[in-house]
Amino acid sequence: MSLKTARALTGVYFVLMAFAVTWPGFVPFARVEPFVLGLPFAMAFIAAWISGSVIVLVLLDRVEKRHRDQEAD
Amino acid sequence: MEQWVVVTIIIGLYLALTLTIGLMAGRNSSDSVAGYVAADRSFGLLVMYFVTGASVFSAFAFLGGPGWAYSRGAAAFYILSYGALGMAPFYWMGPRAASLGRKHGFVTQAQLIVGRFPSRSLSAMIAVLSLIAFVPYVTLQMRGAGIVIEAVTDGHIPIWLGSLVAYGIVIMYVLRSGAMAVGWTNTFQGIFMVVIAWALGLYLPHRLYGGIRPMFEQIAAARPELLAPPGLTPTGDPWSWGAYSTFILVSAVGLMMWPHLFMKAFTAKDDDTMRRTVILFPTFQLFLIPVFLIGFAGVLFAGEPQAPDFILPFMILETDLPAVVVGLFCAGALSASMSTGDALLHASASVFVGDGVTKFVTISEKAQRTWMRAIVLLTGAIAYYFAQDPDSSLVLLLATAYGIISQFFPTVVAAMYWKRATTAGVVSGLVAGTLTAFLFWRFPEYKLYDMHEGILGLLVHIPVLIGVSLATTPQAEEHVEGYFA
Repeated sequence: MSLKTARALTGVYFVLMAFAVTWPGFVPFARVEPFVLGLPFAMAFIAAWISGSVIVLVLLDRVEKRHRDQEAD
Repeated sequence: MEQWVVVTIIIGLYLALTLTIGLMAGRNSSDSVAGYVAADRSFGLLVMYFVTGASVFSAFAFLGGPGWAYSRGAAAFYILSYGALGMAPFYWMGPRAASLGRKHGFVTQAQLIVGRFPSRSLSAMIAVLSLIAFVPYVTLQMRGAGIVIEAVTDGHIPIWLGSLVAYGIVIMYVLRSGAMAVGWTNTFQGIFMVVIAWALGLYLPHRLYGGIRPMFEQIAAARPELLAPPGLTPTGDPWSWGAYSTFILVSAVGLMMWPHLFMKAFTAKDDDTMRRTVILFPTFQLFLIPVFLIGFAGVLFAGEPQAPDFILPFMILETDLPAVVVGLFCAGALSASMSTGDALLHASASVFVGDGVTKFVTISEKAQRTWMRAIVLLTGAIAYYFAQDPDSSLVLLLATAYGIISQFFPTVVAAMYWKRATTAGVVSGLVAGTLTAFLFWRFPEYKLYDMHEGILGLLVHIPVLIGVSLATTPQAEEHVEGYFA
């Protein structure tokens, strides 16, 4: 994947996350049930976005690193 | 032996250990200002990770978070939501700031800004605003330390004495060792906090309700309004979506603008270390979950703490845990408070002297270090004075400070990314934004949709910055090129 695409996708993820955890994006998910791993749905929903952000950043870093290594060569 | 005596001994041992680590850390640091402020740019990944995590998670998260979960329910989710959002842009901004820092010798964020927009008054304004924002932040840490100690010693050590002792120790090692001490004590304290938080967050719901899900089911049945976002206000009415959402946004925007966090960009050993810290950062966020579980565990529990911020120590004491566990918890909460407080005190001094004082008078390196130490003491003393106010809420203290600190975001972005920005533009933007935020803070009844005053400030700040920049003469090309080249 090119550097540009990776950066754009990362940006999209965090914009979506910002939308999903605030009004109005959060409203449909702001409920208690169903419970996920014992947590109220809204809380698990936010936790899932946080966990996803680790994965997105790791993937971005792999692309960025490859690009930096190429530049160094 | 009475429980509080055992607890006091454990706290004493913990504080002694922290002090030892803090003082030992200074031995290898060089005696220059760069050594004191930026730890000779030598932090590795492990230290960076815990420095950042432990500085972000403070008494605010450890005591204020559960306090909100307990009293305001789902409103506390805002605290969970903003960290990852606020940290992510730093994947790029951090290394960029670091490379500018290495090139021009910047050690604070104001230097980064003023390097691009030469203006002594801009520098002084940033220094003063930082200091104003730091005071409520340090206040909440001190109050947090005092609350924990008062609660677990059964009132034998009141808030004034507990916060005095804990912060006396912090000030000792910050004065002696600077950034090195902050790094190593935070690593130690960060590990400690994570372990204690998870252990208690899983234990209390099981012990009191038979599990996490049964706990939430019982709360949902008894107090359904509590678990539905955006939660409640302090008086128990439904909180507004406008406030909930803008609390997230202002905190996300402001998070990395805190001088003590932004300065980490200048302390990192290399860019990879910094990038990995950003990537791992959200894992620290997840540590808020057990902390909230502790707060929620208090909801249906008989009895009431003297204030919501006391819920965590209150729960610990009411559940008849062995004194050793209580002592360890207390040390964990103290470490949360102290590990942020030390970074704050250290940063407030570096910023105020580096960006305020030295812009107006020329003083030697040695005199600068003396000045910094004086500011550490002064900030500590002011915060200590405010920490005695019994009506303050830990979370609100920080949320208010974010109104100021978030105003640095457009300025920093303009300095690092927008070549057309001018000094007049950033200065007028910063003044307009800060004034707007201040007015809405002072007169909250005029807020649109109950939005956080910091966001309202940004809504004025950004157009002013762009408009005035475009209306004034662009910066000389060689200046801009020299800055970025």
